[in-house]
Amino acid sequence: MGIENTTDCHVLVIGSGGAGIRAAVEAENYGETIIVSKTITGKGGCTVMAEGGINAVLKNTDSIQTHFEDTMSGGAYLNDETLVRTLTSEAPDRIRDLFTWGAVFDLGEDNCIAQRPFGGQRCARTCFSGDHTGHEIVMTLLEKLRSSSVTIENEVTVLDLLSDGEKINGAITCDREGNLGLITADAVILATGGAGQVYDTTTNSTAGTGDGYALGYRAGAQLIDMEQVQFHPTGAVIPYDSRGRLITEAVRGEGGILKNVLGERFMEKYDPKRMDLSTRDVISRSIATEVLEGRGTEHGGVWLDVSHLPREQIESRLPIMLNQFLQFGVDIRTQPMEVAPTAHHFMGGLKITPDTLTTVPHLFAAGEVAGGVHGANRLGGNALAETQVFGRRAGISAGKCEKTTKNIDNQQIKAAEEKLNLFYKGTAKSAEVRRSMKTIMWNNVGIYRNELDLRVAERGIEKLQNTQLKISSPRELSDAVITENMLLVAHLVIEGALLRRESRGAHTRTDVKQTWTNADSPYGHTFFVKGKSGIEILEDKL
Amino acid sequence: MKVTISRFDPVTGEQPHFVEYNVSVNKATRILNVLDAVRDTIDPTFAYRHCCRGGQCGSCAVRVNGEPVLACMQEAHEGDVIEPLDLPRIRDLVTDIAPIMAQIAWMNGGSTCPEVTQESIEEIKPLRECIECYSCISSCPAISASDYKGPTIMRQEQRLNLDSRDNADRIVEAIDKGLFSCTTCRKCVEVCPKKIDTPRKAIEKLRAEAVKRGLSLPAHKALASLIEKTGRSVERKEPTFLEQVADVIEPEGEVRATVGFFVGCMFNGRVTQPALDAMEVLRQNGIRVIIPKDQVCCGSPLIKTGFMGFIPELQKRNIDAFVKTGVDTVMTMCAGCGATLKNDYDTPFRVVDITELLCELGFKAPSKVEGTYTYHDPCHLLRGQGISKQPRILLDSVAEKFVEMPARCCGAGGGVKSGQPEEAAKIGAVRAEMVKKTGADCIVTVCPFCEFHLHQVTGLPVKNIATLMLEGYRK
Repeated sequence: MGIENTTDCHVLVIGSGGAGIRAAVEAENYGETIIVSKTITGKGGCTVMAEGGINAVLKNTDSIQTHFEDTMSGGAYLNDETLVRTLTSEAPDRIRDLFTWGAVFDLGEDNCIAQRPFGGQRCARTCFSGDHTGHEIVMTLLEKLRSSSVTIENEVTVLDLLSDGEKINGAITCDREGNLGLITADAVILATGGAGQVYDTTTNSTAGTGDGYALGYRAGAQLIDMEQVQFHPTGAVIPYDSRGRLITEAVRGEGGILKNVLGERFMEKYDPKRMDLSTRDVISRSIATEVLEGRGTEHGGVWLDVSHLPREQIESRLPIMLNQFLQFGVDIRTQPMEVAPTAHHFMGGLKITPDTLTTVPHLFAAGEVAGGVHGANRLGGNALAETQVFGRRAGISAGKCEKTTKNIDNQQIKAAEEKLNLFYKGTAKSAEVRRSMKTIMWNNVGIYRNELDLRVAERGIEKLQNTQLKISSPRELSDAVITENMLLVAHLVIEGALLRRESRGAHTRTDVKQTWTNADSPYGHTFFVKGKSGIEILEDKL
Repeated sequence: MKVTISRFDPVTGEQPHFVEYNVSVNKATRILNVLDAVRDTIDPTFAYRHCCRGGQCGSCAVRVNGEPVLACMQEAHEGDVIEPLDLPRIRDLVTDIAPIMAQIAWMNGGSTCPEVTQESIEEIKPLRECIECYSCISSCPAISASDYKGPTIMRQEQRLNLDSRDNADRIVEAIDKGLFSCTTCRKCVEVCPKKIDTPRKAIEKLRAEAVKRGLSLPAHKALASLIEKTGRSVERKEPTFLEQVADVIEPEGEVRATVGFFVGCMFNGRVTQPALDAMEVLRQNGIRVIIPKDQVCCGSPLIKTGFMGFIPELQKRNIDAFVKTGVDTVMTMCAGCGATLKNDYDTPFRVVDITELLCELGFKAPSKVEGTYTYHDPCHLLRGQGISKQPRILLDSVAEKFVEMPARCCGAGGGVKSGQPEEAAKIGAVRAEMVKKTGADCIVTVCPFCEFHLHQVTGLPVKNIATLMLEGYRK
């Protein structure tokens, strides 16, 4: 071991999804920028998989205020209001950026950007490109990135952030072969996405391991609301190995309906007003209840049906869905899809200011890795908007950080190296640890939660954390570090779930009776900072 | 489940080698799950790419049993052989895609956004679905034989060319990246997980614009003016097929069917014998053939090279010629003509290939002809018309010994043989090696261009399937 490669730059961006690339192309205006990605840039994040669309107020019939209110109400008022104001007021300009840069969004008859209805919104506000909106955005951003002078480092994993005692000034990296490297920077942007992979069943790409939460946490930054994990109501159920794969909300946006095994439109019972376009937390709970009460399919799901829609509409608006299901032997033009909830989005994350600054100087966060924008439940279409609004802001804020000489703390590097060396003496296999963790989280920290289950999960994860992971080759190094990151994230989710003794948004505690509504809950954010965690009590609401 | 995986580690200095693995998997499992199982339970250092698990990020393309697929979408089967894409290799299934990514053009936009219409969006969309998996680059026969940058590179050029927001000259750029090297073999469409039709939606369109700007190849210009002048892509040097045959060829015995015959320029003017042989085969099979003499070139060489101006005229003349005869079915025996009539024409009659027709109606069994034969799939028959079984049925019936050969472009199509003959020869040389491996002493095919070119590059006799069948009938 030993660090051979050292690179210096002004801004280091970690993560190459929508937020990361957006941040990098903005930061470049201020100085040399490097973007590192543990995958191939653009392929790793969940942005490329996002299907349905991106929210922005573009029409006179809509308003920023309505978008703000929908987002707050959808988020069970746990959202940070200033972040929501920022999101909703800047989203239109970020859509225009993308369009100017070449995004192939669907247009309406007036050649203006078309918008479709999405859950929890009073206006058709979701811009789209068929059902591969995220892919379209990433391709547009990639073109922008390729035309820039940003240095792209593919398949490089960040193991830890470096600090000079006052501020973040770089990162220790590891390449595919396990060679360590050092990148020094005046500012670092975390854009590493979420951590759906800590669950057995998830929509997330295999890169959705929550590394940014762990990196930030270890560097002393504060995280909030980690218990708030959105379960997307419609994930694939079969075949088994494809469980959790996202069935886009656009399916319901286009008119798809949910039915239980008896053929009943069960949403009539749970949200008669919004029906199939209710918010994701409500629909996920409804599906879970139907299945728990015996009205689910043999594989533990419900039916999502578009067969009543015109074939052409399915073919042109939902081509990816159509083709994916055809590959698995289901023709959605004539047959219903079997769906069940799947771990999707982390609403919590690093606490940020509207300028994306975390609680640690010169460390910024944008996209899913940041918390507070979506509160306790995210509206469909707001995540892509978040990546663009806050990605750009992160690029600017980081870019504006003062350029200084970087003092490398050799102690920190030595400590990191020593820690990595311990892996060679470990006993636990990374793959097995991950499997146990995913099962524990899925069975005990899912849609319906209670203290008993959460304590079981807490002990289980602690046990896994206390077993030293084992590697036999440097090539396994990044994998082991990522597994540790996932365990840390799992731990924080459980801790938050125990702390929040209320049902709020995506977090449902079946063992707590509450008298308050979301709007007048006495609880604020849960928070986690090294050695300290808790939940804010809002004195004025007590 | 047992699978075989190609492993390679440059650090050990060992050559790539196959290793068999036995892993336990779930029902209807995907290749990616098999790879995961190998890494998780057998070798944690096994290297492969993966990410979205849903066919959207393009990370996990590998070859399974020789053909590129996305590991996350392809169902795994007992005995599958898994290899990396045919690209420079880093380790195990991980290939070096950085040089390809560097070739993909980006938009040269302005600070303001000009008007874009939904119409243009609809035109761009099919070219925008690329997930950069590079399966097309892995399987394109033209890349190693020329300085062609590859299908997805051309796709992106045309995607930008169609966009009013882009300010660069994509035609000049596309030519620079090898626009005229594509043989239009359509292998890229076959392997594309999104089925992007790059040859028709990008190559032909870019070439058409190159033509409009006078940037096409001299040989293509000469060919185009010959067609415009004579209605034929081949100069008349000796009596043509159409000059030699009657308007109607009556069959022996009962008339089982009546078809029109579209002969095509090569069989009409350059190699007439196979067409004459085919007429005899049809005659012996009870098929009446009507041959309108005013038929002309189908226009394929023009479409493939971008000279679109004369196409409506050719289409009209050909359709009128056959409509006049009253036939409801027109037969071709040239893969290129057949594909063109089927895909680029809106005909009021059905178009069938001779192999399709004979298999459909049933044919008189020929006697076996001595020798070892292999079959070369013409790209425009296999991928242009989806025909692969029928020629094999015919060949099986007549060949003493038939040896299979995997399909691969011979290099003659897309105007490459006339425009860039050196490239055609190089692609042909690879094909010749494949032929050699079969041990066959004669090649059979159903395309006069392939026939002509394969003979040149292999030195072996190349026969049209009709000729071989007639040999059988005459025994």
